[in-house]
Amino acid sequence: MSRTVMIVDDALFMRNILRGILTENGYVVAAEAASGIEAMKHLRTNQPDIVLLDIILPDSNGLDLLQSIAVSYPNSKVVVCSGIGQEQVIQKALDLGAKAFIPKPFKPEKVVEILESLED
Amino acid sequence: MDMSQYRDLFVSEAREHLNAFNSLIVRLEDLTGDQKLIDELFRHAHSLKGMAATMGYEPIARLSHVMEDQLGHVRDGETTFTPSLADLLFEGADALSGMVSQVESGIETITESNVLIEKLAAFDPSAEIKSSPVLPDESNQAASDSPPTATHNFRQSDSLKSIRIKTETLDHLVNIAGELFTNRYRLAECARRSGLSDFDPPLNQLAALLRELRDVVLQARMVPFAFIAERFPRLVRDLARKQGKEVAFHIDGTNIELDRGVLEEIAEPLIHILRNAVDHGMSTPDERVAAGKPYSGEISLTVIRDKGYVEIAVEDDGCGMDSERLKTKALQKGIISLEQADTMTQQEILMLVCAPGFSTAETVSDISGRGVGMDAVQNAVHSLGGALSIHSETGSGSRIVLRLPITVSIIHVLLVQSGEFEIAFPVNVVCRTLELLRDDILDEACRKVVELDGTRVPVKSLNRLLGQPVAAGPATKIVPAVVCEIGGDKIAFIADCILGQQEIFVRPLTTPLSFLRGISGATVTGDGRVVFVVDVASLTRNRP
Repeated sequence: MSRTVMIVDDALFMRNILRGILTENGYVVAAEAASGIEAMKHLRTNQPDIVLLDIILPDSNGLDLLQSIAVSYPNSKVVVCSGIGQEQVIQKALDLGAKAFIPKPFKPEKVVEILESLED
Repeated sequence: MDMSQYRDLFVSEAREHLNAFNSLIVRLEDLTGDQKLIDELFRHAHSLKGMAATMGYEPIARLSHVMEDQLGHVRDGETTFTPSLADLLFEGADALSGMVSQVESGIETITESNVLIEKLAAFDPSAEIKSSPVLPDESNQAASDSPPTATHNFRQSDSLKSIRIKTETLDHLVNIAGELFTNRYRLAECARRSGLSDFDPPLNQLAALLRELRDVVLQARMVPFAFIAERFPRLVRDLARKQGKEVAFHIDGTNIELDRGVLEEIAEPLIHILRNAVDHGMSTPDERVAAGKPYSGEISLTVIRDKGYVEIAVEDDGCGMDSERLKTKALQKGIISLEQADTMTQQEILMLVCAPGFSTAETVSDISGRGVGMDAVQNAVHSLGGALSIHSETGSGSRIVLRLPITVSIIHVLLVQSGEFEIAFPVNVVCRTLELLRDDILDEACRKVVELDGTRVPVKSLNRLLGQPVAAGPATKIVPAVVCEIGGDKIAFIADCILGQQEIFVRPLTTPLSFLRGISGATVTGDGRVVFVVDVASLTRNRP
């Protein structure tokens, strides 16, 4: 089953790697956003099944964005990406409705494993 | 998954982060306590760490991690941003930059920087605050309460709408566009000779399409000035610190775009000019105060756009240039003769600093004495078809202005005939053309001049400069001349005839042709002839 994903990360490098992992594993990358504003713009036009969200973004707090997505686009499942040492933020994100958490740095298998666990 | 395919992207993104990181630290030094800047700094360190860890570049990840940690303390208000933390972060950024270079050159094991990591990890700004308090700036605190705005300039287009292209690909596109231009002229020439007028409509259409192609391709090569300017604040700061000088540095107009080729050529010359400004222009705070000036000096770099040109001005409020001293030095070095010294204008005297072999620094410091002088700066500017001018007064600072074309490669030229050669003058150096009677040309001292708008402009024979036969005609014969302006001075070149204007695609010359004096490039015309493009400044420079 193919699912659509939007990648939200300010680093093109990270987006490329994630896109590589996702497309290799049968996911469709429906959109990419480098900022919170871009992400909201894309959400308005196409609602992906999954949003991969980096918690540190240039123009907005990832948590605020997460909250907006949870309220306005409840059908999109948000998976938060973040570096180690952000445990408090991660817990907050899960409380705010994030479905899962991918720690950076990640191994491709780990990303796929976490995304597959969403299907249950 | 093969990660090596992401290496180039890692290198270029890591560089962007480090550049931004460096300039943010400089800004933070002026605005200690600005929360927005600290957040941004933190984010750059954080992103770099994440990227490096993903690629498995552990030494980079470890170092950026401790830098991120320190910034985290500042962000959370646990510590304050101090000058010595800035120094450590700069050191960290330099080390990271070296590691990124190692990644770029394919070195497998990146050099660890354990000493620096320990220094950063053990750094305790609170120990330092007691001795040098850094006052939180209330106005900045207030400003940071306002909603964050997107201040990040380089990343706005990073969506699916834009992709990254290797610069060689862009260069290749420009070359192809240029060759197409030449070919169109060639095609038109063939059609004309064969009397095929049916070809005219499609040829005109082709011309329009080619112009559009050229505009788009050239536009794709445009890069904001900020691309090279990010490192300037840090450079000025480091230089000033090293010499115990106080300098406030401002840059204006960094959003103005230039061709990448022009930017690349101009970065080093600008660094040299900035170095000079700090090194020779600025005095120490004590000397400044003694001269009745503010304690801290000012250097500004301003970029403005003026039609097809960009003017980059570096201005300082330092000690200025001493024209008497410049003349004496030039005399001692045999660059000018006593007669010349007497008749030189102020502008000519200041331009002496660009003469090869001229350096006024009494002692060569490790900063200014790096092998490039103002002559190299001037050469770089001229080879781009630009002009350099200097304005300065003893005691009240200097202003150096580079006027540069926005693009290179495809330029507008004025074609003239000189003997058997067709010569192209870039129109940006030409101020007008003239028709002179031989009688109009006057003898003055040891040169020939012509009266133009009330001033005397030196006249040179293009044929003589290029080693072509010089035809002596009757005094009433009319000869065409091209008046050029270089470094604020006008000069008229007499040619055999003026052929007209054209857009040409300039190819750089390779050895041995590149040794030809006064020629900066060449082009092939529609009918296959080679036309040389003159570099007016080097053409007229005193010959041995």
